[in-house]
Amino acid sequence: MTRPPLLEIQDLRTYFYSRAKEAFIRSVDGVSLAIAPGETLGVVGESGSGKSVTALSILGLVGGNPGVITGAVHFAGGNGASGPRNLLADLERYVSLTKHDGRIVAVAKDEPGWRAHVERALARVRGKQIAMIFQNPKSSLNPFVTVGQQISEAVRLHTGVTHASEAKERALGWLERVRMDSPRLRFDQYPDGLSGGMCQRAMIAMALASEPSLLIADEPTTGLDATIQSRIVALLAELKSEFGVTTLLITHDIRVVSRLADTVAVMYGATVMEHGPARDVLAPGVEPKHPYTSALLASLPSTQTNGRRHAVDGRLPVIRGEVVDTMNVPRGCRFHARCDRITDAIRARCMGEEPALATVAAGHRMRCHLHPGEARGG
Amino acid sequence: MARPLLEVTDLRKQYQARAGMLAALHGRTRSVPAVDGVSFGLSEHETLGLVGESGCGKTTIGRIVLGVTPASSGRVVFDGHEITALRPRALRPLRKQMQMIFQDLDAALNPRMRVRDILREAITLHHRLEQTEVARRTSELLDQVNLKSAKLASFPHELSGGEKRRVGIARVLAVGARFIVADEPTSALDVSIQAQIVNLLRDLQTRLGLSYLFISHDLEVVELVSHRVAVMYLGRIVEIGPAERVARASRHPYTSILWSSLVEKRSDEVARNGAAAWGVFDFERPGQGCRFAPRCPVYEAAGRPAICTDPTSEPTLRDVGDGQSVACHFPLAR
Amino acid sequence: MRRYRESTGEVAERSERSRWRAATLTDRAAIGYGLLVVGLVAVSYVLGAVGWLPDDPSRMDMARLNAPPGAGHLLGTDFLGRDILSRLIVGIQAYFLPGLLAVAISLALGITGAPAIASIIAGKIQFLRQKSFIEAAHVLGLPTRVIVAKHILWYNCAPLLIIQATLGMGEAILVETSLSYLGFGVQEPTASWGNMVQAGANYFFHGKFWPSTAPALAILGTILGFHLLGDGLNRLLEPKSAS
Repeated sequence: MTRPPLLEIQDLRTYFYSRAKEAFIRSVDGVSLAIAPGETLGVVGESGSGKSVTALSILGLVGGNPGVITGAVHFAGGNGASGPRNLLADLERYVSLTKHDGRIVAVAKDEPGWRAHVERALARVRGKQIAMIFQNPKSSLNPFVTVGQQISEAVRLHTGVTHASEAKERALGWLERVRMDSPRLRFDQYPDGLSGGMCQRAMIAMALASEPSLLIADEPTTGLDATIQSRIVALLAELKSEFGVTTLLITHDIRVVSRLADTVAVMYGATVMEHGPARDVLAPGVEPKHPYTSALLASLPSTQTNGRRHAVDGRLPVIRGEVVDTMNVPRGCRFHARCDRITDAIRARCMGEEPALATVAAGHRMRCHLHPGEARGG
Repeated sequence: MARPLLEVTDLRKQYQARAGMLAALHGRTRSVPAVDGVSFGLSEHETLGLVGESGCGKTTIGRIVLGVTPASSGRVVFDGHEITALRPRALRPLRKQMQMIFQDLDAALNPRMRVRDILREAITLHHRLEQTEVARRTSELLDQVNLKSAKLASFPHELSGGEKRRVGIARVLAVGARFIVADEPTSALDVSIQAQIVNLLRDLQTRLGLSYLFISHDLEVVELVSHRVAVMYLGRIVEIGPAERVARASRHPYTSILWSSLVEKRSDEVARNGAAAWGVFDFERPGQGCRFAPRCPVYEAAGRPAICTDPTSEPTLRDVGDGQSVACHFPLAR
Repeated sequence: MRRYRESTGEVAERSERSRWRAATLTDRAAIGYGLLVVGLVAVSYVLGAVGWLPDDPSRMDMARLNAPPGAGHLLGTDFLGRDILSRLIVGIQAYFLPGLLAVAISLALGITGAPAIASIIAGKIQFLRQKSFIEAAHVLGLPTRVIVAKHILWYNCAPLLIIQATLGMGEAILVETSLSYLGFGVQEPTASWGNMVQAGANYFFHGKFWPSTAPALAILGTILGFHLLGDGLNRLLEPKSAS
């Protein structure tokens, strides 16, 4: 990547503490990601992979105990040309860590102090420079305010527009741009009267109305019907080519990512396993690939060349075992217990030493002892 | 296929919709048909997939078939017993044979009971057994669903999604069910776990000769596990037939749209395809003919033929060969 | 600064800490104190029942009326020169049967109609009815009475009943005390905390504060104990995450 990234996350860690087990839930455990301006980064992962908590951590939306404990989020958005600033600046003043054997075993954090600090730092960023759309559009819209008013409010709050009538015109414009059918009618409707797909369109309109530098879409299609899903994906693709909004797309659905993303990050067990151009990471038959990514692609019914035959006399290829427990992250590679590519030659390393996220090709990084690449400098 | 295990004839279910305050004062209630004249059969050892978008009535059918929700009219006959005519008490002995896997992973699991007690309850429900026999049956069930015996002492909240699903399946097997309504059994699971559960359900079918009514909105999974597939749209079956034919040689425009939404298209082709306003069928204006017409590309392309919106000629399922039936005036060509 | 420390050893092999260990210090203190009070009350009840007392509670010592606490009479004597400590211990007898009876009756009525407990249980049932595991139990073929008795009452309401019983006990003591204080409850010469406070109150402003203060403190401490126990158990047995 030659362009400087719009957003760069470095070594982000967000932990929660379980009193019952006296253990940390390592929800995000050393995540580093970068998004270039105008690009769509698709983050795929299963539950517990830390993809959503990563997004919430960027916006300071995770609660305490202990919450975000390490990392930097360099964000170059906003109108100032002052270069990137760290959204998590001064985090280390509020947190002190105790390490043992390379693992964090104790955390002390001044959570009220940090909260106040983060609210100050993010007040002008959240919703304005970084907008977010959520999985459940219906519950993310205020049921007592009409759709139009909610979008107008976003316009007035985050852009220079102060006139009510102008804000309304802008809001209507956004409703048209998200292909809402009969936008003037929908403008005066309450979210309750809209279908799930229409609500998601309204959410997208609201997010775009503040003209953000970065759009975070957290599972934008989950829970919608198949035909509606496909429409929302098509809409996101159109908006991308039309406005070039930089997007962080978070989803468990590889198909959505493969249709929208330029760059893909595959997350597993609270960290990034593979990060690279979509055509390298997701295209079938392209090597090298992380064993987890290829197993994930293989277990999708759609990738079966002949689904019916598999159903009648064969079985779907599966990844054995269970998704890693973030309260009990294994030593070594997080995927080793489920990996079917471990050879005797590297078994000891896979079980004992966590592989680094190493560059294996231009812009393509991977965390796997099979693909050591060259260790990433800096 | 073997003899029919389940026969559903002209099933209907209306829900009383909550109308506005004014309508309530007038004593008027609206009734919305969730299931509107559905008929199908299911043979032994067969899987019938039921697909459709949310609100199309597929879950309601599953619940009526098991006698959980009463039908408004129509008949459900299971193994010679007319479910729709039985009182709840008389249904209980039949529960040994027909069971349900719920979409909600926690459905089968009382949060205060350990896995061991959950299974014991189901095992001893219809049979009085010795302690040793219960233990033997428990370990047999764990074996069947690939669950470690260490999990017996766990409470539900200590289990992962896949484990919860396995316990749910074991519980259904414990009573000895041979017909299972699986309501979105994989939708709450992670991708890598979905494949495990799909395989498990298929293995159990082979080993124990189970029959499934497999309800899902996940077309790929349905296509994979089902022998036959029924496609529902707003309370009616619009197409039914062998899974491969329904998926790959759809005759109903709706089925075709459903499956084509899976095809990975980066372009905005899909959006343009359906640029025709997607109207919504209005139940309160009765008799508008084909209920898919307002969304139907064929209807548009054919210049809005009158028969499609003729209230007297709502299309019914008719045989189009190869075991495939379709409810459409202008079925797609092969 | 708040500290979070991970304990050593394999998490997977570590069984979940008992609810007691996971409870906060305040909850533990509350429950501990409550249990202490319940224990004291129980011991006193037994002592009173078998008559194993420091002194005869009805023996009057006319030479020492309203004597201050000291040797011989640990908590002093009342206006008839009777030993206050002994009367306090015997006074427990007055609570026990009426107390338990009240709780038992309110529990029995709770399921059919008595307001407080009933509304709590009804709320819980309403909440559980929406939970799909009740429906799943129904589909499994469990008879309705088993679902209500086992899945709803036993597994999910038992802690609630224990909590309510504890709080109810405190409630019963308060009611009995009020009645006796007003002269409607246990009558002299039989000892009860209520009539002891009442009798002692006449001498309170003559500088003889102990005859009424001792039973009053006993009442306060005991009711507080029962309430803290109920409250603590509530937080221990009905954690938010379990709902």
